Amino acid sequence: MLKGYLKYFLNKLGWFALTFVFAFLLNFILPRLMPGDPVAAIVSRFAQGMSNTSGVQAIYEQYTELFGTNKPMTEQFFIYLKNVARGDFGFSFSQYPRTVADVIKSSIWWTIALQFPAIIVGWLIGNTLGALAAYLKGGFDKVLMPISLFVSNFPTFGMAVIFMVVFGVNLKWFPTSGGYGFDLIPNFSWNFIQSVIVHYQLPFWSIVVIAIGGQAIGMRSMSIYELNADYVKYSRFMGIKDRKIVGYVFRNAMLPQVTGLALSIGTMVGGALVAEIVFSYPGLGTTLLRAVLGQDYPLISAVTLIITVMALFANFIIEILYGFIDPRIKATQSD
Amino acid sequence: MKKILYVVSFLVIASMIITACATPATEAPMAEIPATEAATEIPATQEPADPNSLPRNETLYFNGQQWGPVVGWNPYSNSMNNALGIAQQDNSRVVMFETPYLYNMLDGNMYPLLADGDFTWNADRTEITFKMNAAAHWSDGTPLTAEDVAYTWATHVKYNTPVGSANMPYVENIEATDAETVVVKAKLGEDGKAVNPLLVAGYLSTNYVIQKAWTETLEARVAGDTTALLADTAEDVVWSGPYSKYFADDTKVVFIRDDNYWGQDASMWGKLPSPKYLAHVIFKDNAAGTTALQAGEVDVSQQFNSNVQDLWLTQGLPISTYLPEAPYQIGATLPTAFFNLNTPGLDQAAVRKAIAIAVDYPTIIANAMTNQSATFDQAPRSLMNPTAGEQASYDSAAVKDLQWAGNDVEGAKKLLDDAGVVDTDGDGLREYNGKNLSFVATCPNGWSDWQAAIEVVAAAGKEIGIEITTNYPEWAVYQTVVTKSDTPLPEGYDIFMMWSDGAGPTQPWGRIRKLMSSEFIGMPSNWNGNWGQYTNPEADALIASIPAETDEAKLKETYTALVKMYLTDVPSFTLMYRPQSFHTVNESIWTNFPHNGDGTNPPVPPLDLTDGWSIAGLYNLTLVNP
Repeated sequence: MLKGYLKYFLNKLGWFALTFVFAFLLNFILPRLMPGDPVAAIVSRFAQGMSNTSGVQAIYEQYTELFGTNKPMTEQFFIYLKNVARGDFGFSFSQYPRTVADVIKSSIWWTIALQFPAIIVGWLIGNTLGALAAYLKGGFDKVLMPISLFVSNFPTFGMAVIFMVVFGVNLKWFPTSGGYGFDLIPNFSWNFIQSVIVHYQLPFWSIVVIAIGGQAIGMRSMSIYELNADYVKYSRFMGIKDRKIVGYVFRNAMLPQVTGLALSIGTMVGGALVAEIVFSYPGLGTTLLRAVLGQDYPLISAVTLIITVMALFANFIIEILYGFIDPRIKATQSD
Repeated sequence: MKKILYVVSFLVIASMIITACATPATEAPMAEIPATEAATEIPATQEPADPNSLPRNETLYFNGQQWGPVVGWNPYSNSMNNALGIAQQDNSRVVMFETPYLYNMLDGNMYPLLADGDFTWNADRTEITFKMNAAAHWSDGTPLTAEDVAYTWATHVKYNTPVGSANMPYVENIEATDAETVVVKAKLGEDGKAVNPLLVAGYLSTNYVIQKAWTETLEARVAGDTTALLADTAEDVVWSGPYSKYFADDTKVVFIRDDNYWGQDASMWGKLPSPKYLAHVIFKDNAAGTTALQAGEVDVSQQFNSNVQDLWLTQGLPISTYLPEAPYQIGATLPTAFFNLNTPGLDQAAVRKAIAIAVDYPTIIANAMTNQSATFDQAPRSLMNPTAGEQASYDSAAVKDLQWAGNDVEGAKKLLDDAGVVDTDGDGLREYNGKNLSFVATCPNGWSDWQAAIEVVAAAGKEIGIEITTNYPEWAVYQTVVTKSDTPLPEGYDIFMMWSDGAGPTQPWGRIRKLMSSEFIGMPSNWNGNWGQYTNPEADALIASIPAETDEAKLKETYTALVKMYLTDVPSFTLMYRPQSFHTVNESIWTNFPHNGDGTNPPVPPLDLTDGWSIAGLYNLTLVNP
């Protein structure tokens, strides 16, 4: 038993390691295949006031040397590999002399604080609604189902823009941009916390609403399937109380949904970066956008690497857990 | 059972909503508060009453300058991304660091700041001498002396900073003959004359004076390494200006007034500037910035707000521009379409001029600038911007018959016919050397005002039998191609847009040089100008003669000759006028902003209230509701 599992585990690990290598390579290469010269963009920022010809050239050369963009790409890759292994992602081009680690450090918490609760809340509400729709049927289901279908297929940016126009620009209930009030300095006062909460609402709900729809549809189908299962009918004949049966049903229907939750958390960072951008919300999405516009290779690579690693890791954990939970999967895989 | 569930489900959802709102409150701010940083950044002597909020009636808000997070405070470096604090340019930003003189783009004069009185040239125009203001001192209380000026230059040279490498060809040395006296020695040519006296004088209003003692600390810290010196974020920097760093994160930057600022001395301003804080929220784009301006969250807007007049005419907001009517702004730079002089067909002056005179400029000005540009009837085209000073620098009557205001389709057709560029095969397109005239007009993708202008240029081609298609590469690609002047431009860059210099102490000479001088051809990375690669030795000679010329009449003659050449050869043509800085103000909180004819003397230019002489405007501001 244990030997079979070890084989399954190593097999999975091997595949994930291989995927990671390719993902890492692509993370490095793809941004660098963008046409254009990031150093020229940096130089252009301050060359406009310079009236002499050799000065601009000197600065250009200084920066190509510093960022290593004058070296062949293979050499750049090995330097990058060596540095990343030490946890050093180097300097950000667009925010030089800030390091990539520093840029990410100051933005990633906004993303986690936005997305983690959004995923959990969307999951909880979605599953509750889905289960209720399956159980209550009738009007509730007829209204919820089409709305969920409609909403869950919305792209995040579309929902974000609608929320911004309706609740921000027209109704003026919430601010349209930023992570906290324009007139505040971050601190632990009630004033500031309140401002953060108010600024949080639109990006948060534009993510949650979409998540609710998707989760509700999944949970509804699972619940309907379970509600019609033989054990439910049998339990009814046995005269077991409705509430007890419902408890069984939802526990069983929940299993695949838990998997979905794990996956969402794994892909969280890459999930709804667009909502951040729409609301100028500080976070990885905004950082990634700035990095792309500024051709900031090291920053793009680092952010996409984080997304890749988290998605791979979540998938890996789930695959391993599946092996434990459902022996059939392991059996077929290790054949 | 089911009814109960309806109620319960409602309650569950409601409670989730409430908890969801509460969750981030503890998470989000914790991550971002640079608690220790903020604490150390606030100078102990100026602890504000409530360190956590910026009282609205003590804070002046900007937009349009800062588009990304501030990186640092190092005045030697150009990569601090600190637009609100550091900009050494024609109109230098003197919020935190100061220049000896302040340039005023409205009257073209230089006014002393750190200096005391006007500077003087020696008889040979090889040396400038000026005195330092005895009242000037650093934020640490030590006096600001001539020695600091000399040491700043020495450091620029020693480490070959951007300022150093830009000025070394013109400035030989800067010396302190005593604590108060600075002598700037110009680099001399083989003829024993200054290479470029104009740029030597320009140095005085362009470049900051940085403290010698702090520079020595910095040098010790970086152990003589240039890269490290320019990358140092200078958290410990000593400044002389009226404001210093207070707070910066990914969403905003805030400066706080230094109440020990030397400039409150009677010899300078006689008081402190009105706002206690200068703040700039980092907006995602112009639209977000305009929304904030409308909401009264921005006082001084240095960005393009399209149809700016709607803000007061339609929406009734207390918003205004420097001029009450169109063009609303003072034009200073000349966004220009360059011809690739190596493209067959465009090497013919007649073809170039025909395209240029057929273009519908009023449409460009209405669409691309929403009328925030003077028209070419108001400011006839030359090489000068619409400011009075530059307009007076050439003889407009002498070039009157060469100037055009656009939409001259018949004139363009006649020009082409006369040059023998006609349609012989009846396909509607004229030929040159047996080939249809077909060009690509281009500018960076997403630069919507430029794209609107390029579309109008392309439309003009159709009217006169020349095919002009448009193409919009990404800026990242565009800039690499256009600035590569050591080879001819590739296909697809026949007519392309770039900028030209604005208002400054070396203008209009600097702008003309960058539009016409052939000295930039051959540079692998040309961020100066003449991207179409125009060569005219006669023009080169005239441009080279201007910096040393002191005879006003001769200067005017030279400028007029250059305008004549430019309007005859048409190596490039101006599409619109654009202000040095857009200047739109919201008077909900602050008032008494600079406006045309506001009676200030010297007049305060509409430049953010931070650049060059415009900082004088900060001292004039008053509260709407004191």
